[in-house]
Amino acid sequence: MLTNNPFAALTDFLPPLAMQVYIVLMTLAVLVGTLFDVYYKGSAKFFAQRMAKFDAAATRRLSGGETASLAMKTIAEAAVSGEFCKWPRRISHLLMMYGFLLYLITTVAMIFAYPAGASTPAILPTLWSVGALMILAGGLWFFFFLRVNVAYDGASPFHLGRADLFVGPLLVSIAFALLWHFMQSTYGDATSTRILFGLYIFFTTLLFVSVPWSKFAHMFFKPAVAFQRRVEEANGSSDLPSPAAERHIVRS
Amino acid sequence: MPTYTDMTRCDGCGECVDICPSDIMHIDPVHRRSYNIEPNFCWECYSCVKACPQNAIDVRGYADFAPLGHKVRVLREPEKGSISWKIRYRDGRLKEFTFPIRTTPWGSIKAAQDYEKPDLSALSSPLLAHEPTALHIDALPTIKKA
Repeated sequence: MLTNNPFAALTDFLPPLAMQVYIVLMTLAVLVGTLFDVYYKGSAKFFAQRMAKFDAAATRRLSGGETASLAMKTIAEAAVSGEFCKWPRRISHLLMMYGFLLYLITTVAMIFAYPAGASTPAILPTLWSVGALMILAGGLWFFFFLRVNVAYDGASPFHLGRADLFVGPLLVSIAFALLWHFMQSTYGDATSTRILFGLYIFFTTLLFVSVPWSKFAHMFFKPAVAFQRRVEEANGSSDLPSPAAERHIVRS
Repeated sequence: MPTYTDMTRCDGCGECVDICPSDIMHIDPVHRRSYNIEPNFCWECYSCVKACPQNAIDVRGYADFAPLGHKVRVLREPEKGSISWKIRYRDGRLKEFTFPIRTTPWGSIKAAQDYEKPDLSALSSPLLAHEPTALHIDALPTIKKA
């Protein structure tokens, strides 16, 4: 199962071009959805106003090198989900983030470079399955145990709300992707395989089309906010107090 | 001066929900970030402001008597045992204060259940539970009878 290109069997009833067009449409949906999200929530306007306000309050100007260094530090922090202060959330987020990247890159590679399945390097479907399993592991852990409304606000682990419009379809879509792959590799039953594929596509479409109403766009604006925060600390415009000069921990 | 959450800074960790003695810090069902559900019931204890690891919570006065423009920001540095405040007044003045909050490492205070169960005879002692060891002294000072 792990070494078969899951999308190769689709050529029985779908031309490779259809799958490629679907990927392009979903990419456009994310792009348009994110721009629409930024527009109708006014977050770009808020962010620009905030930047202008803090720029005016800056006590020193940052050089290009310093700004680049801050950008690199922000990327390094985002790469290890360093913004999370609790390790369970951090690990679950890392599993989902890198799992999603693996899953996404291998999906695109298999659909565009090896649509017919022949000569697909075994590493691609293997990484696709590993990525999907990482998303499921991190996502289910997050969904049932780490969601803050469940862990701190008394909501049931099965509670579903608008805040779950990102993680919910992601988990269901990935679960159906793995089930579909398992079914076609193990049993090869055409009807059940097509039903599972239909469910997989339905929830994948829901995941990408719901971007304006879901938390999908956070993966773009969170790093921007983290970068701005570093800039404010560096140029003296941060509204936070200066770090204490004295250490008061004097006993063990 | 009730609290509010800057949602772009909040990462939804739940610390403020956990610590709020008035149970008014809750999780927004749309964005899964914290928010103050009832600002007029806020005790203004600033527990959430101090507990927030992302410095995402600020306080603001009611618009009828405290025109916007002031700011109260806090920086908790558990590794230094201090808490610092930066106050911006409505006329633009800025003041910063730093206070020591403890002298032992963060998380080192033993919970009551970590101590041995005291003997019942300790009830007749003038000492409180786990005194004097919990105070890091050998004995409490006593008044000598003349």
